[in-house]
Amino acid sequence: MAATFFGEVVRTPCRAGTEEEEEEEEGNRETPEDREVRRQLARKREVRLFRRQTKTTLEVSLLEKHPCSKFIIAIGNNAVAFLSSFVMNSGAWEEVGCAKLWNEWCRTTDTAHLSPTEAFCVFYHLKSNPSVFGSCPRKNMQVTILTCRHVTDYKTSESTSSLHTPFLKALKTQNFKEPPFCSLLEQPNIVHDLPAAVLSYCQVWRIPAVLYLCYTDVMKLDLITIEAFKPVLSSKSLKCLVKNIPQSTEILKKLMTTNEIQSNIYT
Amino acid sequence: MASRYDRAITVFSPDGHLFQVEYAQEAVKKGSTAVGIRGTNIVVLGVEKKSVAKLQDERTVRKICALDDHVCMAFAGLTADARVVINKARVECQSHKLTVEDPVTVEYITRFIATLKQKYTQSNGRRPFGISALIVGFDDDGIPRLYQTDPSGTYHAWKANAIGRSAKTVREFLEKNYTEDAIANDNEAIKLAIRALLEVVQSGGKNIELAIIRRNQPLKMFSAKEIELQVNEIEKEKEEAEKKKSKKTT
Repeated sequence: MAATFFGEVVRTPCRAGTEEEEEEEEGNRETPEDREVRRQLARKREVRLFRRQTKTTLEVSLLEKHPCSKFIIAIGNNAVAFLSSFVMNSGAWEEVGCAKLWNEWCRTTDTAHLSPTEAFCVFYHLKSNPSVFGSCPRKNMQVTILTCRHVTDYKTSESTSSLHTPFLKALKTQNFKEPPFCSLLEQPNIVHDLPAAVLSYCQVWRIPAVLYLCYTDVMKLDLITIEAFKPVLSSKSLKCLVKNIPQSTEILKKLMTTNEIQSNIYT
Repeated sequence: MASRYDRAITVFSPDGHLFQVEYAQEAVKKGSTAVGIRGTNIVVLGVEKKSVAKLQDERTVRKICALDDHVCMAFAGLTADARVVINKARVECQSHKLTVEDPVTVEYITRFIATLKQKYTQSNGRRPFGISALIVGFDDDGIPRLYQTDPSGTYHAWKANAIGRSAKTVREFLEKNYTEDAIANDNEAIKLAIRALLEVVQSGGKNIELAIIRRNQPLKMFSAKEIELQVNEIEKEKEEAEKKKSKKTT
């Protein structure tokens, strides 16, 4: 242990191995009470699927109700804005369900009544072509995942100041045969959280899937970040869905102005 | 490894980084874009105006500030840090004038601001200032100047530069379009600044603020109408250029 100028105590590596082990054990000792509290909280975790904006839960799995050929998932506000302006703007999309969840890290304390506005994920399908959408591990399905990550998470031997943000990187499953619209994500970079879970699931079930990850230095809703996803519009999955790009750009601009968060910290 | 060296900025990391200074540079990228252009007889500062809340007084949200009659600056990053730096710079400008009976040179005040910023990267218990600044003005010799400072306390003279969000995109645009013709006259320099901002500004000319200093003249802030006029001219020029292109191809 060492003290810094500010009086805080910092752990320093110790060559006397035994000393370190004892310290670690002390820190990690959990009382049975702690364990019980954790178990109770874990039991309260839930994920529920609802039919449309109602409170009725889906008796039949959403997956079986809507088998599909193309599944597109957007994670994060920039990816969602891209999808809603460029893809969902062309054609009539119908909301078929939503997923709501609660775990001990959620801010709401009411576990029994999750309001419709607290949907974690909303599912839409294209009215004219109901085979577009779904989440079932059926054959002939192709999955596209869009998400963003801050460029400071990108590990590279180049200097970060020479990186041209925002930029796209792709990661695909073995069964995905189409060439991606950008370079593949190099080692030692890894994908995290939900996009990683979806991609792993697709790899295990041999579903062709591709993840387009946009590295940006602006994590809030930003026009330039959203436009970085544009090359994806030429992919097989999205080409037939996108009709009017100039109109989509206008809608995007409106979305930006209505959603601008007022913050006085940065000017 | 980074987490051990984030806490005290007076500590270098094993590979020679001052992480707090680098993180401060990230804070600068959270501010909206500012662009500075040094013309032959004019210096121009253009900024992307932040959208103001309904009940907020627009006049109190300013990104371009005068430091003295002949020097002004635009910043990007933490608003409060900028206020502190600007206040100190303004006091220094007057103190210099009273002491040596001459107004500060642009380089002097830039060096003052940069030295102040560097002190905060080498002091106990202090964090660096999270702002970058573009400082423009004319010296007594009549030469236009543009300087840029960053949180580490470095400063350099530039012909044209941008700071804040999407600064790289704007800088690349300037590298392609900053030519002797482009800054030949004052109007062209102003247009270049606006064109550079339009590359990244999300809602067009309404969100641009512009300030210019001409030789031996005080700072002039453009009104919204004047900016709109310039934007309309630029759009006309673009259309004409596109028509010419399409004629050539046919």
